[in-house]
Amino acid sequence: MGNYFDGTRRGRRRDAAIAGGFLLLALLLLLVPASYQTPLRSAIRGTALRPFLAVQAELVSRRARSVDVSQLRAERDSLAAVVAAQASLVEENRRLRALLGLRGRAQPAFRPAELIRAGVPGAESTFFIDIGSRDGVVVGSPVLAAGGLLGVIQSVEEHTAQGIDWTHPQFRASAMTADGDAYGIVEPRRGRFREEDLLTLTGAPFHTDIRPGTRVVTTGRGGIYPRGIPLGTVVGIDEADTGWRKNYLLRPAVRPEGVTHVLVAIRREGETGDLSPLWQVDAPADTQETGAAAGVGAGTRQP
Amino acid sequence: MMSERNWPFWALIALLVITHFALHLAVGLGATAPDLVTPAVLLAGRRARGSVAAGLGFGLGLLQDSLSLDAFGAEAVTLTLLGYLGARSRDLFVGDNAVFLLVYLFSGKWLHDAIFYLLSGTPDHGGTAVWLLVFSPLAALYAAVAGVVAMAAYHSVTGQR
Repeated sequence: MGNYFDGTRRGRRRDAAIAGGFLLLALLLLLVPASYQTPLRSAIRGTALRPFLAVQAELVSRRARSVDVSQLRAERDSLAAVVAAQASLVEENRRLRALLGLRGRAQPAFRPAELIRAGVPGAESTFFIDIGSRDGVVVGSPVLAAGGLLGVIQSVEEHTAQGIDWTHPQFRASAMTADGDAYGIVEPRRGRFREEDLLTLTGAPFHTDIRPGTRVVTTGRGGIYPRGIPLGTVVGIDEADTGWRKNYLLRPAVRPEGVTHVLVAIRREGETGDLSPLWQVDAPADTQETGAAAGVGAGTRQP
Repeated sequence: MMSERNWPFWALIALLVITHFALHLAVGLGATAPDLVTPAVLLAGRRARGSVAAGLGFGLGLLQDSLSLDAFGAEAVTLTLLGYLGARSRDLFVGDNAVFLLVYLFSGKWLHDAIFYLLSGTPDHGGTAVWLLVFSPLAALYAAVAGVVAMAAYHSVTGQR
């Protein structure tokens, strides 16, 4: 294996100095603010890693195209039935709102996207999507899968964006039970393995008993997630905090591992929208405003 | 003379790196595929000067870091350090047989994981102790076996020792 003992003492010092320079540069990159890191990160992804990202996007597309046609037809028929059933409700709502002089409730638009996973250390719980700022994606755009909320966008470029899913330690969402009885904050609860990751509804009022099987959805508070997106289903009590509040374990509505196609909510300035009708959320529409007007925060029971 | 002009060896290093990103990023296998970047840097460290190995670690670390949202630079620091330590390990350990290589790559990968998570602070499953004593050694063994297999293939193809 070649000559092991290379160079003179002076040569070794020079060698160590150069290696030290690289180490200092790496430390500098680690410590500089994220705004300085982003251009470099984008440049590397757009050049050296571009072929690999493109191959994964192509593989995801091909996998989607090879889905059984009969399964697609069944899904289309189910969706057509839902749309037909909701059409009359939408029209009735529109007429009633017109009679009361209310303007239509803001709804976010959606962009379909393919989801790409990096699969390297440090990129756990994150994903890329193949649309970016050109398509209206911004930092904070919610990412939805068929069952409910998958995550949120954290970094946006022109043609791509990177986001975190609900297993990421920084994920938080203002949440309520689907009937609007209890409010709280949903955060990830890590298991021993990724497959065991669950969600926790924290700060639910102590006097409220949320039964297992109750659906938990987003409240629309905080200006990030539209109202009414499913987060999970209550499995049981996680812990009770000395008579003040309870935490509940939730079975997530979406498992990130299996998701390949998502919808990204593109919202208008200052409006988060309401998606309650899509997932048949029963909570009265005015609970959010009532709570806010009364100065009641997350974790309190609404009247 | 070092092996820095030994192009078949550097072709092996390039192949390991390309395979790593092809498996992890293009095919999207994630943790199912072994880490091949760390063995590439460690193997380069056994043949190249410290500065060259550190430079290689820095470059490959940046590639990995560009995919991370939370810890940009952590992989670059880790692999730079590992490249240099790998080169300096020649002063302490001489050898090229499969068992030595397995132990060397295993230790290097375990050290990599420990430094990386110390810098990035990325919490993982099962807590730090379980992760360092169970998950990380398994990943290290996986990477070490992959590195030994790659070197065995290299030896059989080139006939070099």
